[in-house]
Amino acid sequence: MSSKRERKVEAENVNLGFQIAPMIDVVFVIMLFFMVMAGAVKKEMELKSQLPGMAPPSLDAPQEMPDEIIVGVEEAGYVTLNEEEFDSPTDKKLPNFTATLMRLKQEADNRNAKVIVTIEAEEQATYERVIDVLNALTVAKIANVTFTVGGDNGF
Amino acid sequence: MGGGGGGSESGEPEFQIAPMIDVLLVLLIFFMSITTSQVAKIDKEINLPIATDAKKKEKNLANEAILNIRWSAAKQESLIMFQDRPYPQTEPLVDILSGSKAQNPAYRVVIRGDKALPAIEVQKVMAVIAQAGIDDISFSALNQ
Repeated sequence: MSSKRERKVEAENVNLGFQIAPMIDVVFVIMLFFMVMAGAVKKEMELKSQLPGMAPPSLDAPQEMPDEIIVGVEEAGYVTLNEEEFDSPTDKKLPNFTATLMRLKQEADNRNAKVIVTIEAEEQATYERVIDVLNALTVAKIANVTFTVGGDNGF
Repeated sequence: MGGGGGGSESGEPEFQIAPMIDVLLVLLIFFMSITTSQVAKIDKEINLPIATDAKKKEKNLANEAILNIRWSAAKQESLIMFQDRPYPQTEPLVDILSGSKAQNPAYRVVIRGDKALPAIEVQKVMAVIAQAGIDDISFSALNQ
């Protein structure tokens, strides 16, 4: 009987207050997890494009005839510019292709001319490769893109 | 929080636990928010292609339609999803998009296509968008 009472007194003396040290440990671990995750997070971005056939006519000073560039995307992954092959089919960055596009865009800007790009993809060319080409066009700041597949009329 | 000074009576600086917890919690909330807000938008049915130089997404959901194009490698067929509904026939989708464009001239379309899609399927979707009279389009891609 007396031991029961002693145990009750002991329990009343135990401090059940808020423990700060374990909380800091847990918060640190959670924070480290989110810090590491923040670096690896995949962010959804977008490649903008304007369908050129529907753009309103410009009211500015008359421009020169637009420069039309034809970009081919083959099923095997080869990318051609005006029928000339650029970079390897596995190279996602397309460095030579991008540099050439930038040079062409610069020349067109100097003449106040518009650059229109027509992407002629083979029917079974992958969308991933088309996106690589669009990515290179974004780097070269070219937004007017027409898209045709297998020789059809494009958009 | 934490009472001013940070020193004991002997003049020795003391470690203040309360401001440290404040800072830790702020950092924790910051990292939680930037991690979860990005992950929530990714549709697991679609493997987006990667474009490292793509621009940041505009957050204007009222002005845009998001067309998800799924690709089934086994069946070799694509399926257009719009607002969680499949559209095996494109005519109803053209009607919906052209109606939205008529109401809102700034209406645009974001194409979220699987990276394994053949180009012909992308062209079919672009044909739908062109029929609806929309010229402002974007292609979704991941940054890494």
